[in-house]
Amino acid sequence: MRTPDEAPRRRITRGSKSFRRLSGGLALLLALITVGFAYAALSPTPQTAQAAAVDPEMIAAGKNLYMNSCITCHGANLQGVQDHGPSLIGVGEAAAYFQLSTGRMPAAENAAQMPRKPAFFTPEEIDQLGAFIQANGGGPQVPEGQLRDDAEVAKGGELYRLNCASCHNFTGAGGALSQGKYAPALSEATNSEIYAAMLTGPENMPKFSDGQLTPDEKKAIISFVQMNKETIDPGGLPLGGFGPAPEGLIAFLVGMVAIVGVTLWMGSKA
Amino acid sequence: MSGDSNVEVPSDEVLASMGREELARLGAKLDGVELVEYGERYEPGSPADKHAERAVSRWFVLSALFGLAMIGIFIWWPAGYQPPGSDKQLMYALYTPLLGVTLGGAIACLGVGVIALAKKLAPHEVAVQQRHIGMSAEVDRRTLGAEVFDVVDKTNIKRRGMLKGTLGLAGGVIGLVAIVPVLGGFIKNPWAKGAKSDLWVTGWAPVAGKKVRMAQIDGTPVRPEDMAAGAIMTVFPGVPGGAKMSDSAVMLIRLRSDEKVKIRDGQQGWEFGDYYAYSKICTHVGCPTSLFEAQTGRILCPCHQSQFDVNDGCKPVFGPATRPLPQLPIALDEEGYFIAVSDFHEAVGPGFWENGKHPAWKASPKESS
Repeated sequence: MRTPDEAPRRRITRGSKSFRRLSGGLALLLALITVGFAYAALSPTPQTAQAAAVDPEMIAAGKNLYMNSCITCHGANLQGVQDHGPSLIGVGEAAAYFQLSTGRMPAAENAAQMPRKPAFFTPEEIDQLGAFIQANGGGPQVPEGQLRDDAEVAKGGELYRLNCASCHNFTGAGGALSQGKYAPALSEATNSEIYAAMLTGPENMPKFSDGQLTPDEKKAIISFVQMNKETIDPGGLPLGGFGPAPEGLIAFLVGMVAIVGVTLWMGSKA
Repeated sequence: MSGDSNVEVPSDEVLASMGREELARLGAKLDGVELVEYGERYEPGSPADKHAERAVSRWFVLSALFGLAMIGIFIWWPAGYQPPGSDKQLMYALYTPLLGVTLGGAIACLGVGVIALAKKLAPHEVAVQQRHIGMSAEVDRRTLGAEVFDVVDKTNIKRRGMLKGTLGLAGGVIGLVAIVPVLGGFIKNPWAKGAKSDLWVTGWAPVAGKKVRMAQIDGTPVRPEDMAAGAIMTVFPGVPGGAKMSDSAVMLIRLRSDEKVKIRDGQQGWEFGDYYAYSKICTHVGCPTSLFEAQTGRILCPCHQSQFDVNDGCKPVFGPATRPLPQLPIALDEEGYFIAVSDFHEAVGPGFWENGKHPAWKASPKESS
């Protein structure tokens, strides 16, 4: 470093009035910029679908639908009805979205498991009911935007096999559980429905909160499930994707019958 | 063997003068087969003959073409994975079926060609064979038996002690080879390391006095706030290679706080709040039991449909398993991560005959550790 004696002559010399003014101004500018960036980085991003931000008219419309279609089993105050339906307080918009958009709710009967069927409500009505449920106790919500991350599909496959495949099968074909219950096939599930199912754990499915599977990991899993469905099966006919048992059975029945048939045909022609 | 004895065997001179067809007919006759009609199917060189040859050759050409196609596809086909949506995906997906179709086609065409050869070009024949009824004649049976035992006698097996000894030795050792997989367990002592033998210890045993953290498959340690009520997480010992320890996979389950839970005798306090940790290895034959029904609290094993009740100490309630899933005593360390207080206090996985004889397994873990 140079000593002050060796410093070249400057128009604004250290200690002068204009130097102090200039350096003070620069320091202030720097501080303001820092604070600005820090604020932008640290302040929570506003959540688009918060209950408070939702149109009260939507909640009112949702309440109206609820009073007509859901009240019998879930109670006038969402508290649930013994042996009919669970409480909906705090289940969140995500749970309502999953149950309504997959047509599981409104339920046709009180069975071991609610089957998927065409949705009874329109998407607008589902949003209204979701807003009403969200306004009563909050709960998890399905985020907006892109719910797939195709670049992470390999990681998604790893997580799927560890967390999901035991019930939903390696190919997403689903499988049996105890006493008439089953893990449904994922063939018709949309990105938002899979996300909502992981977040809320409908029926007997365990919950996978954001602490257990981060949103990025959930998106990777969704990518794997959807790409699995979109990819043409390289093995030819998948036979339901259940693996070696049906494949062996078909190979035995079809192959054996074909071999015996051809042999008999050849014998009759001899 | 025993043809018609009334066939005259020609002398050597006659034999030498016989043509190939005559010899073939004689051979059939000696075997008791009379060729009523025998000869070429078509006149050699006739249009029908050439037509038949071409018909058979066509199959062999087709077989060769299929084989060449299989080789070409195997070497040059773009077999790498293509994501869905790209127009190359069909090419990727066709790779395996095409290999099968071409290889199968080559083999099938070769087979059809051989059958066509036999049917279209092989000599036309009508044969009559006389067959005797019942067992062989008394003289045949007696002479054959005598032939065999006479060889044994003439080899003098009885007096060759060394031969008998070495043959017996070889046979005995080969027999030993067959049963050594069973005997091996008795030779190698699995309890050589005493209380620290491999069958007693899993990855959850404290390492150098330090209790082992629970970690996700990628090694991330687990905190209580990571899991929602009604969640299941497969955790592994948070030590190097922990995720690969086949006896240490554990289901960490967070029950809902309003669920009634029965705790097995002597296992009070092994849980942490609503969090329970159970071995993921089925006590039947060791499959991973991770089909967790969050509402009924049942854990299903996919292999043989054993079911365990989480709300009742993971006791088996259905299926072939007879022992409850072993519970792992858990707590939090000073940084707020889950740790295993001690190792399991019973055998993990399928029961073995020393189960319950481990000295330390009697004591409560929270006191003994």
